[in-house]
Amino acid sequence: MIRFEGVTRRYGERAAVDHVTLEVAKGRLCVLLGESGSGKSTLLRMVNRLAEPSAGRVLLRGRDVAGIEPETLRRGIGYVIQSVGLFPHWQVAENIATVPRLLGWETGRIATRVDALLALVGLDPARFRDRYPHELSGGQAQRVGLARALAADPPVLLMDEPFSALDPGTRRDLQRELRRIHGETGKTILFVTHDVEEALALADLLAVLEDGRLIAQGRPAQVMEQDGERSVRRLFGEESMAFHRLATLPAQALAQPEDAEDDLPVLPAGASLKQALLLMLELGADRVAVLPDGPHGGGTLYWADLVRAA
Amino acid sequence: MPRPLALAVPEGRARPAPPREALAVAILAALAALCPFLLGWISLAPNRLLSPRPVALPMQAGTGIAVACFLTGCLGMVLLSRRGRGLPWAELSAALAFAGLLGAIGLGAGAVLGEAPRMARAMPAAGFWLAVLLLALGAGSCAAGRGATPSRFLALAVVGGGLLLALGLLDGLSVVREGQARGEELRTALVGHLALAGGALGLALLVALPLGLLALRQPRLEMALMTLANGFQVVPSIALFGLLMAPLASLATTWPALRSWGIGGIGAAPATLGIAAYLLLPLASGLLAGLRVAPPALVDAARGQGMTPWQILLRLRLPLGLGVILGGLRLAAVQAVGLATLAALIGGGGLGRLVFQGIGQLAADLILLGVMPVVALSLLVDAGLAALQARLGAAGSPGR
Repeated sequence: MIRFEGVTRRYGERAAVDHVTLEVAKGRLCVLLGESGSGKSTLLRMVNRLAEPSAGRVLLRGRDVAGIEPETLRRGIGYVIQSVGLFPHWQVAENIATVPRLLGWETGRIATRVDALLALVGLDPARFRDRYPHELSGGQAQRVGLARALAADPPVLLMDEPFSALDPGTRRDLQRELRRIHGETGKTILFVTHDVEEALALADLLAVLEDGRLIAQGRPAQVMEQDGERSVRRLFGEESMAFHRLATLPAQALAQPEDAEDDLPVLPAGASLKQALLLMLELGADRVAVLPDGPHGGGTLYWADLVRAA
Repeated sequence: MPRPLALAVPEGRARPAPPREALAVAILAALAALCPFLLGWISLAPNRLLSPRPVALPMQAGTGIAVACFLTGCLGMVLLSRRGRGLPWAELSAALAFAGLLGAIGLGAGAVLGEAPRMARAMPAAGFWLAVLLLALGAGSCAAGRGATPSRFLALAVVGGGLLLALGLLDGLSVVREGQARGEELRTALVGHLALAGGALGLALLVALPLGLLALRQPRLEMALMTLANGFQVVPSIALFGLLMAPLASLATTWPALRSWGIGGIGAAPATLGIAAYLLLPLASGLLAGLRVAPPALVDAARGQGMTPWQILLRLRLPLGLGVILGGLRLAAVQAVGLATLAALIGGGGLGRLVFQGIGQLAADLILLGVMPVVALSLLVDAGLAALQARLGAAGSPGR
């Protein structure tokens, strides 16, 4: 869906993005992880031509974006930024309708779409439609920002640190919502963050950037492997590598296929080993029951197995 | 059985504290009420050349009613301003006081002249002018309570004054006689003044708007524009008119056709150009500041949604910055009205002609005849654009 081919962006002598080649398949949620100044935002902004590559090219559905008129290109791509950027003089409904109006949809269709989107992002249309942005909390504003990005049903979403300015509870809520919406809509999402836990909570595909170079990419579990690159280990924090690695592994994989005792604490389906560890620590238990999920059968997860995996 | 009277008075009905402005308004109103009595209402001069002396206000039915209006207005200001909600009414009460005061000296002047020699002239005395100033300050204090300019006072004072004038109640005043004698001249001067100020404002807008829009994107152009606009402010206006004389005169000599459009070293053309040069700063800086009210992150979001630069300008930058842009326009318009007075110095016409003629002849009435419309125009333009700014500026940012 999105392909970066040897993309470089220079500002004077300095290369903000340095020969990045990366492919994001349709329907994936790819997280670009890196510290500030690593070039992750610049890389993202080259997809909708808010930044232009100095060398290399960016392909969207096989087409070089340099050949598409910027406004047309951008109306076909959802864009969410950290500061949300809702237009303060427009009501929520008008804000969400920004792109449909630019595309010249008829009003009836826009109104239906706005209500559907508000419901999708978990806001009651009747209550929120007519509000102004300053009447929204930070979390509500970013939900509206997400609805605005989805308004014209673009196949691709670009999200530039969308949740970084929110408090931790709201941020976790919105991460969960995003995973759900990603599952329901099957959008291809490129998501920039500097937050390691956020990256691991969201990513299908993780791409780690440092000083403009792509230093690791793959499924989160691959990136987190024990003998990974030094700079990756530094970024994730040398001492908490094991903990982060557990977050990338499903609990079912280590469960012993045996009928769990009735009185064991139960881990929710689809939970990671990190969640299993936290549950054991919380309850002081040395094993938990794992519910069956998809290809994996259920069973019992033992403390000793878990520690060995980390 | 006697009822317990004490219970009849509900508790907690303490009077709300008077607003901060109450004391200032009361003092100003009281002083205004005293002024004409202490310093005189009207003065009488035996003829145009001799100095006027204060005379007593002849008491008759008309002046009595007018003075009563004046004093009631002053008292109203004191009483009404004691409650926050009464402040707008206190402002209107100040206008009533002004109308009463004006009526009193108008009628008084007519009565005094009836017994005076034919060449005698009656004019407002110091007490009148001071009282008007104090009333205006009092109205300003009332308006400050709602965070605005005393536009209601001004509007009502203008309407009241105009009504008195139209009814012929002010005909005894020398300045009104002067105006009637020079009616045609006054009209020409007023039209010329409006043309000068309006033309200069239009010309300055024609330059500042496109350059301001371009400067938004080009820092070097912005620096050049602002340096130029600031530079003009430093040059004294007479000097600027002088500086424009030589190049325009030589232009007219080179292309005589230009002379038929009124372009030359002196006259309205260099005056308009000169005034326009001064308006560049308030217009350009107001425009640029207004266009930057929309924060960069918001503009980034708009670009990311696929808005064209033109759409960003029209749907984002202009509506959000309208209040600031109109503020610059307001400043420029008031400046234009004031500066147009100086155009008379280089033969540009306008109300300044009456002022400078009056100065030359030591004729206070003539000076006043020129100055009063300038002041009225300035206030009118300012109040009008302030109202527009309040309405449109608020629409740009609801609830803030």
